[in-house]
Amino acid sequence: MKNKALLAITAGLLFLPMLVGAYYNPGKPTGFVNDYAGVIDSQQKQALETKLVQFEKDTSNEISVVIIPSLKGDTIENFAVKLFEDWAIGKKDNDNGILLLVAIEDRKMRIEVGYGLEGALTDAQSYSIIVNDLQPAFRANDYAGGISKAIDDIILATKGEYTATQNSSKNSSGVNFEWIFFLVFGLPIWLSSVLARSRSWWAGGVIGVVMGIILIFVFSLVVGMIASIILGLLGLLLDYNVSKSYGKAKATGGVMPWWFGGGKSGGFGGGGFGGFGGGSSGGGGSSGGW
Amino acid sequence: MSKKVWLIVLAVVVLVVLYAGGLYNSLVKDNENINGQWAQVETQYQRRFDLIPNLVNSVKGAMAQEKSVFDAIAEARTKYGSATTPEAKVGAANQVESALSRLLVVMENYPQLKSIDTVQTLMVQLEGTENRISTERGRFNDLVKTYDAKIKTIPANIFAKIFGFAERAYFESQDGSERRQK
Repeated sequence: MKNKALLAITAGLLFLPMLVGAYYNPGKPTGFVNDYAGVIDSQQKQALETKLVQFEKDTSNEISVVIIPSLKGDTIENFAVKLFEDWAIGKKDNDNGILLLVAIEDRKMRIEVGYGLEGALTDAQSYSIIVNDLQPAFRANDYAGGISKAIDDIILATKGEYTATQNSSKNSSGVNFEWIFFLVFGLPIWLSSVLARSRSWWAGGVIGVVMGIILIFVFSLVVGMIASIILGLLGLLLDYNVSKSYGKAKATGGVMPWWFGGGKSGGFGGGGFGGFGGGSSGGGGSSGGW
Repeated sequence: MSKKVWLIVLAVVVLVVLYAGGLYNSLVKDNENINGQWAQVETQYQRRFDLIPNLVNSVKGAMAQEKSVFDAIAEARTKYGSATTPEAKVGAANQVESALSRLLVVMENYPQLKSIDTVQTLMVQLEGTENRISTERGRFNDLVKTYDAKIKTIPANIFAKIFGFAERAYFESQDGSERRQK
């Protein structure tokens, strides 16, 4: 008995470091450059941002610079993969994103390359950018200078890989048609998005039951009761599912599901930052320290 | 009275059929996703497999007396090459991994190797590959975890049994190789 308790405590202690050294989401991206540690001034940040916005416009490649104060015990490789997953850097079809992650307190940096750019920016190239551009500058406390140089080299390596596709602009025609469209498709979608945004996961069920009860008065007791059970369950299911996927999308700052009416357009509108495009990475790139 | 009962029975049957159909489809999809993720793991294994001879050849000359390490690597590679089932592949891949890590440890005793550009590049590539493997492997395990939990919980477990969906095996890897994916 005593042995068992001891075993349990030992096992608990063994798992403790795993819990401590966990990835945390630093927040929602506000641009291509996200400095959570406050080591580059706003003018330098603006210059980098402009460069990256233009690069995205020209090639559709999305390069993100993220500076965090600390990894909080995680490895930089794991942190980079998870953050890449959360923010979904790069376009969905091409996976052409790159994440330059810097952890100030840990004195570690990593270039995480999306699947679609692994051929253009190899591990060895990433390593040489880290050693030649980042390390010397970071050792001299010139974070902005090092990052700027690294970005130039990354752009040089990846600019030929993809070309930007024009986003066809929507043109609206007849108002009547739009109204019908809204009633058929828009209303359920709008209802879904309201239900999803609401805190509850059960309101849909209540609405279903209420609709069934209304049917009692319209038709008969039996029809109404059965309808309220079915509608209640369907509503519950709908609300539960949409709430869950909305919560997930909101937490990650990623692309909203299709039913999310009035959300992000997904593209880049006036040339600024409009969110990342849904790309993914698989651990490619290189890490280093200074 | 009997009409009411029949209507309720019908409603319940419709709901059960809808649920079972949806569950079946989602389990099929999950299984396909797991298979796809396994293919990703294998792709990265193959990549490591292809890198090893280059590294071995470029360091062999300087490390001639470390014959046992190179023998172990060669043996593990042969084993991986002839493995056909996923289980055998995992076993062989783990063996490649431990032989490789032994080589990397031994290489620490030859600091002059690290200054050679080819060796340096190969080491970086190998490092990247190891990271890719642990990433894809972690994702594989995540998918299996979700799937296994799904078919083990009520009421899906009943239908999973009827449809014949079995539990999928986790990726058992050697100590330490999973360190990057918690």
